[in-house]
Amino acid sequence: MDIRRKVQAGTMQSSDLMIFLEPADTLSIEIESTVKKQFEHLIRARIEAVLERHGVKTGTVRVTDRGALDYAIEARMETALGRATEG
Amino acid sequence: MIAQLLTRDELQRARALVERSGLSFEERYDNLLGLFEGGALVAVGARDGNVLKMLAIEASHQGGGLLGELVTELIRLGYAAGFDAFFVYTRPGSAPSFEALNFRRLVNHPQLTLLEYGRGLERYLEAQRPLVREGDNGAVVVNCNPFTFGHRFLIETAAAQVATLYVFVVREDRSAFPFAARMRLVAEGVADLSNVVVLESSRYAISSLTFPAYFLKKSDPVAQIQMETDLLLFGRHIAPFFGIRRRFIGSEPTCRTTRTYGETMKRILPACGVETVQIERRQVGDEAVSAFRVRQALRREAYESLRTLVPESTLAFILSEEGRAIREKLLNSHGRH
Repeated sequence: MDIRRKVQAGTMQSSDLMIFLEPADTLSIEIESTVKKQFEHLIRARIEAVLERHGVKTGTVRVTDRGALDYAIEARMETALGRATEG
Repeated sequence: MIAQLLTRDELQRARALVERSGLSFEERYDNLLGLFEGGALVAVGARDGNVLKMLAIEASHQGGGLLGELVTELIRLGYAAGFDAFFVYTRPGSAPSFEALNFRRLVNHPQLTLLEYGRGLERYLEAQRPLVREGDNGAVVVNCNPFTFGHRFLIETAAAQVATLYVFVVREDRSAFPFAARMRLVAEGVADLSNVVVLESSRYAISSLTFPAYFLKKSDPVAQIQMETDLLLFGRHIAPFFGIRRRFIGSEPTCRTTRTYGETMKRILPACGVETVQIERRQVGDEAVSAFRVRQALRREAYESLRTLVPESTLAFILSEEGRAIREKLLNSHGRH
């Protein structure tokens, strides 16, 4: 699956995250989080897992997180990817 | 429920809420959103390009998630409109509420805090990294509307005094000559100067035209605060990244705003380790060369007189097919820009 367009998913509410995807030649993941120090590596691992599951190898992923739990990260990523790859 | 506010009644209620919050209502925005609870308007917020503004929440509803809800929607709309990063100018006391939403502080000024969502400044600087040169460097920030012998003189004189001179061309497109053309004419006009690097200012040269003043008091010197904010952003973030130790400006005989900007620069930048160097303007006849003078000549269709004011590259552009639209636009307008 390829990221074919610029899309956004999620919200800025507490315990949620916003995800921005856009097409790019390489893969990059930028994470900002109110709990970045403690959890950046876990957020990144979760995002990478979703990308891998869908075979996404390139694109820019930007995330701003407010302490989302794993299932919220998964759900938002799935939605964003669905929007970025459709059509 | 969140909705765009469009009707006259909604706008009146939005204005009342904004004013009740001690802010003033600005007519300029792309989207104005309201949050309703049981038919009552409890929060409003607006987007003007990549600037979020007039965020006001009814006192009884503060401290919950309403700000996040509003900002989410404003950013969603802004992202769809093509913006990746967003500014908020706010009172220093409100800055933590935005930091909790992953906004980052760019400027701390006694009367305001400028924050950004989306790491735009970092990404802009990262993109410029290949242009960074070691040494004692200098900078000029220019609009060049269009590039004249005056700009050439300023840049040449400044370049002789530093290792590398960075020429930041103001990105914002509110001038007679569009950004792409201004940028190209600068690049052509200084192509022979080997230690000059021309680059765009992106959105990090703060314009008085987009600077929101809704949270300032009527008695606050808005233009002055805008200039100080612009200079703090330059001094704290841009200058250190490029190793800029001196910022050059031309002497300003006529435009009061520009002159005040120069004076403010001398006051603000030293604290950031940047010296301000003023260079006397080049004269042709009895007057200093200025882009304003060029535009005046164009309004009079006095093309021959341009030869003394602009280099061949600028003149060729003005007389080209592409330049024709600009000439026509100038003939029909009488503003300063």
